[in-house]
Amino acid sequence: MAARLTRLTQVLLVLLGILAIRLIHLQVVQGPRNSRLSDRNRIRKLVLPAPRGRILDRNGVLIADTRPSFTISVVPTELTDSALPLLARLLGIPEQAMREQLKPVAMFTSPVNVKRDVTIEEVARVEESRFRLPGVHVRVDPVRHYPTANRYCHVLGHIGEVNEDEVRRDTALRRLDFVGRAGIEAWYESLLRGRDGSEYAEVDARGQEIGALPEKHAEPESPGRDLVLTIDDRLQQLAGRLLAPYPRAAVVGMETRTGAIVCLVSQPDFDPNIFMAPIDPATWDSLVSNPSKPFFNRAVTSGYPPGSTMKPVVALAALRQGALTRETRFQPCTGSFKYGSRFFKCSGAHGSLGLISAIAQSCNIYFYQAGLRLGLDSLTAYSREIGLGRITGIDMPGEKPGNIPSRQWLDTRYGKDKWGAGSVLNFAIGQGEVSATPLQMAVVYAAIANDGRSVRPYLVARIDSAGRTIHTTVPEVSQLPMRQPDIELVKLGLEHVVEWGTGTKARIREISIAGKTGTAQNPPRPDHAWFVGYAPSDAPEVVFAVLVENAGHGGAVSAPIAGQLIRAYFSPDEPEPEKPAKADSLAPEPDSGPAVPADIGLSPVPP
Amino acid sequence: MKRFDHWLVTTTLLLACLGLLAIYSSGGAYYFLRQLTFLPVAIGAAVAVLFLPRRILYGLAEPLYGLAALLLIAVLFAGTGPGSHRWFVLGPVSIQPSEFAKLATVLMLAKHLSVKRSIRFEFRDLATPLLITIVPALLVLVEPDLSTAFIFAALLAAMLYWQGMRPLHILLLFMPALSFAAGFSLYTWIPFFVVLAILLLIRSGVTKALIGLAVSAGFGLLSPVVLASLKGYQRARIMSFFAPWFDPHGISWNAIQSQIAIGSGRLIGKGFLLGTQKRLGFLPNRHTDFVFSSIGEEFGLVGCLLLLGLFFWLLRHVLLAARLSDDSTGSLLCVGFAAIIGYQVFVNIGMLLGLLPITGIALPFLSYGGSSLLLNFVMVGLVINVVSRPE
Repeated sequence: MAARLTRLTQVLLVLLGILAIRLIHLQVVQGPRNSRLSDRNRIRKLVLPAPRGRILDRNGVLIADTRPSFTISVVPTELTDSALPLLARLLGIPEQAMREQLKPVAMFTSPVNVKRDVTIEEVARVEESRFRLPGVHVRVDPVRHYPTANRYCHVLGHIGEVNEDEVRRDTALRRLDFVGRAGIEAWYESLLRGRDGSEYAEVDARGQEIGALPEKHAEPESPGRDLVLTIDDRLQQLAGRLLAPYPRAAVVGMETRTGAIVCLVSQPDFDPNIFMAPIDPATWDSLVSNPSKPFFNRAVTSGYPPGSTMKPVVALAALRQGALTRETRFQPCTGSFKYGSRFFKCSGAHGSLGLISAIAQSCNIYFYQAGLRLGLDSLTAYSREIGLGRITGIDMPGEKPGNIPSRQWLDTRYGKDKWGAGSVLNFAIGQGEVSATPLQMAVVYAAIANDGRSVRPYLVARIDSAGRTIHTTVPEVSQLPMRQPDIELVKLGLEHVVEWGTGTKARIREISIAGKTGTAQNPPRPDHAWFVGYAPSDAPEVVFAVLVENAGHGGAVSAPIAGQLIRAYFSPDEPEPEKPAKADSLAPEPDSGPAVPADIGLSPVPP
Repeated sequence: MKRFDHWLVTTTLLLACLGLLAIYSSGGAYYFLRQLTFLPVAIGAAVAVLFLPRRILYGLAEPLYGLAALLLIAVLFAGTGPGSHRWFVLGPVSIQPSEFAKLATVLMLAKHLSVKRSIRFEFRDLATPLLITIVPALLVLVEPDLSTAFIFAALLAAMLYWQGMRPLHILLLFMPALSFAAGFSLYTWIPFFVVLAILLLIRSGVTKALIGLAVSAGFGLLSPVVLASLKGYQRARIMSFFAPWFDPHGISWNAIQSQIAIGSGRLIGKGFLLGTQKRLGFLPNRHTDFVFSSIGEEFGLVGCLLLLGLFFWLLRHVLLAARLSDDSTGSLLCVGFAAIIGYQVFVNIGMLLGLLPITGIALPFLSYGGSSLLLNFVMVGLVINVVSRPE
């Protein structure tokens, strides 16, 4: 017992001895230094904000960057009673609001941001009154900047200040930080956001920095990752210009073989830079009260009745089911079709047509009968299989799946069997309750162009970190249940659409285009104009889906836009046309060069 | 009252008074007054257990231990705390069941170990004490409160040693866990393994040493395998669980600030209430876990060494009580209590001095907090009971 008591006492003495030695080290050896830090000076933790990652187009054009900006911050414990009202006045913040803002952090000894992106005038005013503003600091922060302004607003989305809830949930976030709120900025938030660094600085009693304390756990900031998009800035610009005359419209361009999005524009747009600084209330009100909803990405988050662009899908479904062959002739088109007690209309009186002509002339009567023979359930099942009614999986938040008016859906909507059999007729010509986003239609047509191989659309081709590529997107391709002879027929039909049918205004001299027009009814307002097409028609590389709201006929309005974009896609070095091509001025340009061979078009994303 | 140990009473009260001063200085009048009202309650409880016949206490070992386990389970579901489940909040007071569980475990272990003449390194001897310790330790660990869970290991080691187990065997007993913990990095595991190998080769036969090293290597190797099989976010979660101090935002800041506060006190301190660092409000718990930094700043090296001296004197007398007692259960109780107090003193002050990672361990008798003060006094009351009232 005695031996054990001695041993335990010895252990105790050793442990307390270690503490005593460390105490002597801190209080005697390092005493003067610690005393200096404590008495005359304080040390302060400074945040080194990490710049958000850059975003580039496929050719390296900068579309989102950071720029330096001034931030006013205060150290709450050093702020005197008279300094707060003065600072509030200089910055134009109501005094009460500033008090409220600082209340939860009143005991902080590190700087807290009070206003971001202040003007140089405000900085000058603060600097002039510096001696009356102890604890107030001016810091240079990197903030998001979009040199392309409106051009990419729906692709990139925008960023916004974090709310209290997010700060609580994510320890890496601090008040007044920015996070992605939509688009690429939101989807790739964790990659784009860098990690803030920190260093410890020695400051004097007035809060002036004396110097860094290098040995104290300094941590350098690490910038966010850079994203290289699949978008081609040239096409994006052109698409924006072509849509500019219309109040509400959308375009999606995509490589048919990879799913790489080459342009994605939704009209109206907005300038995402406005979110960086306190927003001018008038600008904000005009954006929010705009009935066309500028924040709404029509290409991805809005479903429209596909109109006649649905017909190739119906044709493929009917061909596979054996409900249709190339030679099938239905009851001739007289301009209207009686089903039950209702009359269903067509755009003209086409007479008796085969499949190719029915597609080329977009005859409703033909497709009513094809739809009837096929049946609602088969049409529903096939539409689902090729990707309608579900999201495409693009790397962007908020994507909408559109709608397929299946038996089940109609039952829930109208009550069991309370809906008419005419639903399948509307479905077959893409009107009524069926809806799809422009992106979905581009994906569906890409699958047709690609002989049944469907792609997942994507926007980010590559992720770089400090100049080194850390990720390259590999296209995702899946095989759809389409039979090659059926596809050949439908593709022939789509070529005829542009050759002599409803889509002749998409035609350009250099490249042969295949596609389909669509005119989606939108009572009581004017129709939506669709065109979805790909080129070159014999070996497709790119597909464009164009939708212009309330603009009338797809063949008149949307087809020429697609034609222009396809021409630009295949002639990379040609200067862009000066003025946006209008629907009525689509004669082939005499000065445009010879057709460019397909293989020197835009190269696919490097592996 | 055969041999009433006045020193125990004096040092305990001195420590509590020093605590009150430091709480007043760092936390202000509000916390000072609250602690001041806790003190008579704590003294009352100490006096009550002083006169409690120990037979009755030993008879209560199992029910108290069971109650402690139940409370620890309940706190997992109904408890609160910063990112954990540690306290019950009952109106104005919050109760920490782990404080109570430490005492109940010591009592249970003391009762069980006291009937053994000696403890050999055998399953038969070790199974029950290990089980008694592991249950509350695991429950505390999942709260999560790693540093408090370690207390159970410390008190088990001390009590096994007191009951005659060889230190080498105690080391072997904890070896698999130590090896697993050290195995997270080669830099910690290699020194651990070398020291273990030398110890084993010197102190036991070659065969036994090789077996021990093999087991150790096995557990050490398991660790990176377990770590590698986890997904990135799971690993991060484990890291923040086993290493909550691994947080560049804030914690190292606290450590730096507490070292500056203590260091700036220099030889004799800045004087009572004259500390400056605490006024800047840099420490979140300056009247609880960080109370020692205020003592260091205001009373300097002299004050700190005096405080360490008081703790040494207190623990020395607790151990003396263990030695003098003719009741082996009581004797073990004293050793267990000494382990609890000694562990907390070393870990709390060590973390404020930057020797150990910052964790939530209170300084006995000094930190603000009712349940911890009460149970610290109960421990002293029981020690005096053991030394002064023969069964």
